[in-house]
Order: sequence, then C-alpha cells, then structure tokens
Amino acid sequence: MTAQEVRLCGLVLQEHFGEVVEKVGRNLLKSGTQNLRAIVHETGLSVDLVKKSLCVLMQHGACSFIQGRKGPGSPTEYKAHCDRMLRILRYPRYIYTAKTLYGDTGELIIEELLQRGHMTMSNTVKTVADRLTQSMDGDMDYGEVSTTFSKLVETHFLQRCPPAAGAGTTGSSQTANSTSAAPASSTAPTPESFPDCYRVPQVTLIGRSKRPLASEEGEDQRNAKKAKMDPETHGDEGIYWQVNFERFHQHFRDQTIISAVANKLDQTSSEIVRTMLRMSEVTTSSTAPCTKPLSANEIFRSLPATYNIPRHILDQYLTLLVDDPVDGVCGEGVRVIYLNQALANLARATLESIVQERFGSRSARIFRLLLRKRHLEQKQVEDFAMIPAKEAKDMLYTLLSQNLVQLQEIPKTPDFAPSRTFYLYTVNQLPTARLLLQNCYKTVANLMERRLFEAKESKRLLEKSQRIEAILASLQASGAEPEQLTEVEEMITAPEKQQLDSLRLHVNKLDSAENQVDETIFLLESYISSSTKPTS
Amino acid sequence: MAGRGRGRRPFGTDSSISRGEGLPPGLQQPTPVFPVMEQKPLPLAGGEEAEYLLALKQDFRGVMKNLPFFIKPAAAQRDVQRYSDKYHSSEQTNSLTDWNLDWRRFPRELQVHIRRRVREGLAFSTMDSSVPVQKKKKKKEEEEVLLKLETLEKKEEHEQSSEEEEGGVKKKPEEEEGAEAEEEYDEEELEEETDYIMSYFDNGEEFGGDSDDNMDEAIY
Repeated sequence: MTAQEVRLCGLVLQEHFGEVVEKVGRNLLKSGTQNLRAIVHETGLSVDLVKKSLCVLMQHGACSFIQGRKGPGSPTEYKAHCDRMLRILRYPRYIYTAKTLYGDTGELIIEELLQRGHMTMSNTVKTVADRLTQSMDGDMDYGEVSTTFSKLVETHFLQRCPPAAGAGTTGSSQTANSTSAAPASSTAPTPESFPDCYRVPQVTLIGRSKRPLASEEGEDQRNAKKAKMDPETHGDEGIYWQVNFERFHQHFRDQTIISAVANKLDQTSSEIVRTMLRMSEVTTSSTAPCTKPLSANEIFRSLPATYNIPRHILDQYLTLLVDDPVDGVCGEGVRVIYLNQALANLARATLESIVQERFGSRSARIFRLLLRKRHLEQKQVEDFAMIPAKEAKDMLYTLLSQNLVQLQEIPKTPDFAPSRTFYLYTVNQLPTARLLLQNCYKTVANLMERRLFEAKESKRLLEKSQRIEAILASLQASGAEPEQLTEVEEMITAPEKQQLDSLRLHVNKLDSAENQVDETIFLLESYISSSTKPTS
Repeated sequence: MAGRGRGRRPFGTDSSISRGEGLPPGLQQPTPVFPVMEQKPLPLAGGEEAEYLLALKQDFRGVMKNLPFFIKPAAAQRDVQRYSDKYHSSEQTNSLTDWNLDWRRFPRELQVHIRRRVREGLAFSTMDSSVPVQKKKKKKEEEEVLLKLETLEKKEEHEQSSEEEEGGVKKKPEEEEGAEAEEEYDEEELEEETDYIMSYFDNGEEFGGDSDDNMDEAIY
C-alpha cells in the first residue's frame, strides 16, 4: 500500500461512505490487520461508529475478517483491501458496459448490486423491477428481470459471494457443501473455488411489480400484503450475489485489443480477433497468458454471418495478424492470441504517449529508441535519434531526473573510474509502468481534492440554488402561474448564475478527467499484474 | 583507493560531459507551484460515451449519500449547549436500522446494541392514557397493530435489546400499546416525550429560505 494509494482510497471512501468510514478505512490500510479494540483506540471514534463502519466496509467487500488467527481464543481481525476500494472509481464504466451488453435492465441490475455491495437474487429482481416500473408506463414483469439476471450469471459477470468463513455459526448457508471453510485457514477462499459459483438458484418469484396506488385504501391493503409477503422466502435465502470485476476487466481488455487492431489494420481483422477472443471468453481464466488454441476452421465457422469472408481471405488475414507484432497472434495450423504480449504492447504504447505529451515529440523519439534498442551510449543516442548533441543531452538529463530513463554503468576497471566506464542509458518497461501508475493515482487524488475544494468554496451558492430548485419544483407541481415562477427564478442574480455555470463546468471537467485517468490506470494495472504473476 | 579524498577528480571527467563545460547552476529555492508547461495537455475526450459516464458517476455519488451506508459523523458540538440538542441527536441513529444485515455473514461482535430503554419508557408512560382509546377502536386497529408487531419484532431481532429479559411475557401486550402510541406519535414528528413537533427546535439559523413561499400574505 503506497502512500498515494492510501490517500486515494481515503478520498474515495469519504465521497461514497462518509468521513467516519474513511477514518476507519485509512487506519486499516495503514496498519494492516487489526482487531476491533485496536481500531477504536487508534481512530478515537466511538465503538458503535467503528462497528457500523466495519459492517459497511464488509458489505461492499472492501474489508474481510479472520477469526482465530492466533488460536481459538484470539479476537476477530479485520483487513482492508486497497485494490477493491480503488475499483469504485471504475463503477461508471462497469454500469455502462452492462448497458451496452444487456440493455437498461442489465444496467440497473449492475447498478443496484454495486450500490448495495451484495444482495440476494430476489431482492435485486424486485428492486430493479420497481425502478423500471417507475420510469416506464406499463408494469414490469419479474420474469424478464430474472432472465436478464440469469444471463449475467451465465456469462460470469455476476458471481455468488463465498460463504462467510466461520462467522460464529456452523453450517451457515447451503452453498458450503463442497469444502468446509476451516476457521483457522489463513488464506480466504476465492469465489471461484466453490463449484456453485455460477449456478442460478431456483427462485420462486412470479408476479409483477405494481405501481404504488395513490388512494389510502390501496395503501392499507398494500401494507397488509407487504407484511405478509416479507416473511415469505423466495427459495434463495443466504445466497448472495456480487459483481465479478475480473470478468469485466477481461471484457475491457478484449475491447482494447480489438480497437488497437482496428486502428492498426482494418475493421475485418478486428472482427476476426473479436471472434477469436469471444470463443475463448468463458473457457480461459482471466489470468491465462494466452487464449486456447483455435484452428482456422473453427474461426471460419464462428465468424458472424454478416461478414462474408471467403476462406482463403481469412487465411491471408490470419497470416497478416501473425506478422504484425501488435497483438501477438501466433502459430501455424492453430492460432493463439498471446494476451500478455498484447497487454505489454498496449502498455508500451501508453508509456510512449505519456512521454510524448509531457516532454515533446523529440524526447518521445529518444524514449522509443531506448525501448527498442535497450542500452545505448550518449553518442549513439544522438546519432540514432538525429538530434543535435546539446539538445539530446538536455532531454536525456530531463528524462533521467524524472526517473523514466535509467543509467547503467559498465566498468572497464574494477574501481569504476569515470573516464574508464561505459555509461549506458536504458529504459525498463515494468518499473517505469509502476512509476507512472503511482503518478496516475496521485493525479486522480489531486483531481478529487480540487473538485471537493471547488464545491466547498461555493457551498453557500450551491445550497441556495438547491433551495430555489426545490421551491420551483413544488410550485410547478401545485400549478402556479408563470409570473410566480419567474419571480422565484429571479432570486438568483445573473452573476451568481454565471458563477454557478462555471462551477458546474469545472466540476464536470474534473470528473471527466478522473474517468479518463482511470482508463490508463486499468491498462497499467492489467499489464503489471499480468507480468508479475508467477508463471507455473 | 585512487582518486578518493584529496586527490578527487572534478565531476565532469566522464565522457558524456565535455571539458570546460560547467554543470547548470544549482537551484536556490523550491520549484514553483504552477510551473509553466512547454507542452500543453490535450483536451479531454468528449463525446456521448464520456458524457454518459460522467452522468452515471455523478448519479452514483448522489445515490450513495442517501443510502444507509453513508455514515454521518456526530454533529459538531456547537459553542453553547442548547436545549434542542437533546432532541436533535436522536435523528441520526435511525439510518442504520433501515439496513437489514444478514448476521450469518458478519462476525457477531459487530452487532450494535441500541438502548431501547427510552422507547419502552414512553410505552409505559402512555399506557394509561391509551388504554381507553384503544378499547374504542379495538376492532379496526387490531390488524394494523398486528402488522406493526411483526415489523417491530423483526427490528428487535436484529438489535438484541438487553431489556428483553426484563420484559418477558408482558412484552407483547405492552408492545401493542406502545406500537399504537408510537404510530400516532410518529405521524406528528414527535420524539422522546416532548409535546412539540421537531421544527419547534429549529433555532432560526436557516431563516430566509422559507419566507418566499407565501408571497400573498403581507409580511410585517
């Protein structure tokens, strides 16, 4: 947990869960695993507040508990997960992807699950159906929402929460039939280690979500019905679902590869790559270095019908993709996409463009040169980059001071005398990627702080405008005349309106910038995790 | 070793810096807070997708603020202790009772025990006055009371009141009256033994927002 990550997590928690949860979360991140008393002592908050915050964090998966780590009598210990908190930055992207894939219903399902952390299927279906009914004219059928939910589970976008490891009651839920989670185990079981992970339970949920009736009688009736329905179980008590972030990440990664191929080659080749990726979507795990091998026949059969590509042209495209080093399609009879290599190439392109935007195109030329040629002396850099000596030296020193370029000393004599040592400039892709990732975290944290600062400065103005909007809305609802409305609107003076507009513009820009930086964060994080995982 | 200490050679004797050329002068002060950038950054990516993502993000933040997961810190102590503080402080604790946790998934030590002594005190004190009232409306209100019982029982399951042992058998009939009395009181925004509605305790610090509704009445 670097300092930048902790700072960013703190800001994210503060915005979404309040200051109390932020304090508790920060304390857990900085101090590692702790028990309840220690947290209360260090944060100085009341015990009740700390308990509530821990519940909130655990509900959203940002914190987990271990019981009896040092023996059967030891207190429960809590551990925070930094990467899970940083996922909150990416929530809008997940919701948008669900919308493009499964429509409004899918979007609302994912949104509800992200807001609540984890929920049972029946609750989700009911809430989503209610929300859809409010925005639509007709009534929403539960069955339709359930179908979308099942589809999301089948494509692994949703998964069951792993049953709690020894939460004080034995035999907690029905899903723990495979392995009994030993309370003294040190590693938490991943959700995928349970065979029922993606099985949709039998849920008896027939009916429609009704519009709330306006009359009193209707309300009383509904209250009576509601009280009777609540104790009914829908057959899936204790089975909680959560969003499977890894699957979404896999999807994003595939999308990036496809668009990279489309940019470099053309639309048809990107379609071929998309088909290959889709065929190995559910079968390969997200951390696999390459897709499963596919023969050209299979690809030919699985191509979408709209693309009438004759067989020999497909073969030509495949050879073209093999030759092109961007995406790492390889093989002779069987084709495989090397995902790790593709990620490395994408990360390299990101690094190069970052250097270009910050230091200019000539520095970027030097950077790219060093990436390809590995180790170069000062003189060689000047020659290859075709930049005059003085400027090349300046640029190299600037890059060196920013730690994007490293110096490697190769001595001729054992005493490292400067006149008898080779000094070679080099770029290491992985450490540079890590460095820039930390920079990205710092950037997002700065953007958030600036946004909070701007909102705080104009707090009085914002409150006033909110009050006026509320008054306007109530006046309109009760059918007021236009003169009254204009009188109320004029309460905000023109310069205040301007100030409000510019404030809104700034806040929107800062928010948008956060979203964009998060895309870079995703790419760099995927690259780093793909290249550092132990190869078995 | 050779070249250390007194016989130290000047720095610029490696091949990359030519002789006679000095290093750039050292910095005398910290770097400026907003340095001039030679390369201007590119404009943000616009377009429909970016705007939709932006709207989603802002909506999500807004919704999270109203969910029971958003824990507000205890209200800041104002300079002088005021009478209305006693009645304001109870408003905040209600949010977490809306959230029904499944305690099988959470460690037992995190359950918060909310003191219900005051509420039951209310039930006890108003019991006498509401008994004759209840006898009149008995038939109509029985159903409603049963409903209230069920919901209240559910709430109490989660909260594990320590007064359960005291109540024992008497609890159910007491709860009936208490439930009914509470229902009446809730409608008028009453809390904890006051006879005033909660807006009585507003101390006029937000004055100026409400006076615009009644444009027709004369304001003296």
